[in-house]
Amino acid sequence: MIGKKSMLHVAAMAAVLASTGWASAKTVCYVTAADSHAYATPANKALQARAAELGIEILSLSQDFDVQKGTEQLNTCVARKVDGIILWPLDPQAYIPGLARAQQANIPAILINSPMSDDAKPFIKSFTGPDVYEEGKLAADSLSKALGGKGSVVIIAGQAGNGTTIGRVSGFTDRLKETNAEINVLDTVNADFDQQKALVVSRDLITRFGDQISGVYANDDTMARGFIDAWKEANPSKAAPPIVGINGQKDAFESIRTNEMYSTIVQSPVEDGRLAINTMAEIIEGKEVKDRLPIPLTVVTKDNVNAVEPAF
Amino acid sequence: MRFLSLVSQHRVVIILGLTLVISALLVPGYLSASTLGLGLDRAATIGLIAVGLTVLLISGQIDLSGGAVFALAGIVSVILQREIGILPAAIVGILVGTLAGAINGMLVVGLKVNSLVLTLATMLIFRSLAHWITNSQPVTGTDIMLSLALAKIYLDVFTLRSVLFIALIVLLHFWLTRTIPGRNVFAVGSNPAAAKESGIASDRIVFLGFVFAGTLAGLAGVLQSLVTNTGSPVFGSELTVAVIAAVVVGGTRLEGGKGSALGTLGGVLTIGSLTIAMEFQSVPAYVQQVVSGLILILLVVLDRAVTTKGRASGTRPALVRDNPITQGGTT
Amino acid sequence: MEIGGVNRNDRFTRGSRLVDVLSKAGLAFAIVAVMLYGSLVSPAFFTSGNLLNVLTSMSIVGIVVVGMTFVLVVGGLADLSVPATIACGAILSLGLQPMIGPLPAFLLAVGLAGLIGLLNGGLVGYVGINPIIATLGVGTIGLGIVQAAVGGVIVYGSNPASAEFAKGRLFGIPVVVLIFLVIALVGHFVLSRSFWGRWTLATGGNYSAAEASAVPVRAVKAGAFVITALASGISGGLLGLTLQSARPLIGGGYEFSAITAVVVGGVSIVGGFGSVPRAIAGLIFVQLLTNVMVLDGVRTPIQGFLLGILIVGAVGMDAALRKRGVA
Repeated sequence: MIGKKSMLHVAAMAAVLASTGWASAKTVCYVTAADSHAYATPANKALQARAAELGIEILSLSQDFDVQKGTEQLNTCVARKVDGIILWPLDPQAYIPGLARAQQANIPAILINSPMSDDAKPFIKSFTGPDVYEEGKLAADSLSKALGGKGSVVIIAGQAGNGTTIGRVSGFTDRLKETNAEINVLDTVNADFDQQKALVVSRDLITRFGDQISGVYANDDTMARGFIDAWKEANPSKAAPPIVGINGQKDAFESIRTNEMYSTIVQSPVEDGRLAINTMAEIIEGKEVKDRLPIPLTVVTKDNVNAVEPAF
Repeated sequence: MRFLSLVSQHRVVIILGLTLVISALLVPGYLSASTLGLGLDRAATIGLIAVGLTVLLISGQIDLSGGAVFALAGIVSVILQREIGILPAAIVGILVGTLAGAINGMLVVGLKVNSLVLTLATMLIFRSLAHWITNSQPVTGTDIMLSLALAKIYLDVFTLRSVLFIALIVLLHFWLTRTIPGRNVFAVGSNPAAAKESGIASDRIVFLGFVFAGTLAGLAGVLQSLVTNTGSPVFGSELTVAVIAAVVVGGTRLEGGKGSALGTLGGVLTIGSLTIAMEFQSVPAYVQQVVSGLILILLVVLDRAVTTKGRASGTRPALVRDNPITQGGTT
Repeated sequence: MEIGGVNRNDRFTRGSRLVDVLSKAGLAFAIVAVMLYGSLVSPAFFTSGNLLNVLTSMSIVGIVVVGMTFVLVVGGLADLSVPATIACGAILSLGLQPMIGPLPAFLLAVGLAGLIGLLNGGLVGYVGINPIIATLGVGTIGLGIVQAAVGGVIVYGSNPASAEFAKGRLFGIPVVVLIFLVIALVGHFVLSRSFWGRWTLATGGNYSAAEASAVPVRAVKAGAFVITALASGISGGLLGLTLQSARPLIGGGYEFSAITAVVVGGVSIVGGFGSVPRAIAGLIFVQLLTNVMVLDGVRTPIQGFLLGILIVGAVGMDAALRKRGVA
């Protein structure tokens, strides 16, 4: 199967090369979050497949969720004198000096998937991908709607200090403030995007707050699953409060169908990967691109669950 | 047997040479000044911590808290920039590393507990402190231009970090091989009881070893935070394992009593150049893991195969051959 | 011969009975104190529901703790390859379900995890490599292979019946808790009543003396790592079945949790001393304390900070009681 796929790549590449000539093969450095991850892996694959179609060679470097490694990999990219850099930032600031060095070397850079702070703007051509802060806001709206604008919620957050966690939590809480919703946050706990950890913290949250919990916001569907399981253990016969997740995983779609979850937000890793490389290809061709290119975010509830494709 | 022991003695040089030759053959454009500079800079962060850990391992101790100290020192140096200025803040950051090392050393020596467990606990403590004082959010420094200046490459090869690392390695080499305190570290590590009997203050040496290791982890963390203009509670979480691997590839033993500064240099450079070669070829991270794991295991097995042959079981590892000192001999 | 930093005097022969009683009493006292404090700060703490929660939550790591006890007692310092063996157990027991059925998949997963342990054991017991390095290296390789095998994506379960079983209850007690209790009992029996346990204690207490008295020290040392790997494989398999999904990094952190529990339980890191009930008492204490802190609303970093101080206190007290030499 792998053989067939790479044959296809070769064929596609050959076609492109034939049309553009050998000399113009461009190399783009792709500093990804991780090679082995439910969301990052399909995004990486989509990006690479699209690059092959475009005749762009990808130098793929995996940070393995280690910011420090990523900052050093930017230097590798600059040293390789690549034609462009696509960076998956895991921190809002730390990459700025590296991006500045890329700029000095006249290498255009864009961000994929996660945002950086405004200080990074002068050094990047564009930011493509979902807006994690926006996702937090959408989740707040969704939960607000489910609760009729009133209630007490718990937040099951991802890894402490992680950029996605920070965006998704602050987007949520800011939006609640903005809309003056009468929703108070009972507690925010970290479960590291891990189902088992979410299960354990949820047991404790349920013991501690019991019926006070009128809604749940989990930073991703995996952790939402953890809360659902903990609730079933504690209250086998009672329906769980509305639970809002993010990511649009297959099993979350199932949970929405069976009323175990209220909503999730689909962001497609394939779209994410393709948009980034398409944008970089335009930059290399000398075209102007917008500084913010979002991928569509779809809030999925019971109303549209059968009309939307799960992300992974 | 003779061949094996020759191979074993020079294994760091051999493995580094092999890495470079194979990389040069397989990776186009690998052999260049810029790659060298890159390798050195990549090696520097791991290397600075490795310098400290080398001394500790030789003295028979281990420190797992280096990655957490790295993060904590960096955070302090960034947070204080607004209050007291960049340079004083950096110094305070390094001192945080010193203090953390002193705490480790005091507890290990004072409580007489195993350093593996103790530094596992202090790792948790320092990491939690880093999350606590930053509220789990990264903090930003005041001067981004300084970051750019610090990361400047001189003569196509050297950065401030890499020069500092190489200088420290050279100093450590002379200290370990040419001075009495340096040699005493080996004595303490190979046989604490004998060292004590011959009048070496082994507790003090162990304590200072932790202080040294903590200071260097702090220095590495402060440099990292200055270069990235950021202090983050998640920095350095993968660092400790990489550092231990580099030091052990360089021939230092976890059992204590054996190791060298130049070996550590070789180990750190091997890991650095290997990583860069694999990254140049877009080798997936998990394959990189398998490769570095295999190298680590192969080298220690080779080391073991050579040192266990030709000596009766029940004796200590053959230290004397590689080292000018006999156990506890010099005071 | 010095392997894994173990050439200490045999403390286990030194009149340590008093010390044993004292440190056992200390741990029991600590557990009671935490329970009292818990009942004071939260009315929800002393309810059967909450205590059952704690028990369920600790069962998965508890199985690893049983294995890790053997590693520490035999003088093997620690097994850092636990994340790899847990991932192996979880991913294979779910991934192989469609091909060979849930039970054979589970058994095969545990068996392969055991093979990783055999590799660890061979390197530590027979080649004489430091356990930290051996298990670190083998764990890195194992985890890398697991990731390569599944391409980094989540593996989902496909057999609802096995999930129901793993999540279900028998006589009102969760199945995972029962499995944990059975494994703990077997582990306790092996370590305290069988020849293998005697050998394990002897090897950890004084390696050369045990060797001289015809204990197969190498096999015993290797065996501890195989036991830990099998335990982690079972633990990972159960984790996969209860969660119905597994990813390569599923086992991250379990090695440290297990070591923490064993050490807080007063099992000596340099070997030769310890028992399964002590390790489990350590686990219970840590889990209850965490539970109380969460119920009390203590923030995560502060929890970690306090837990770290607790470990320092526990090993310090143990060392002071035992007055052991330089470790």
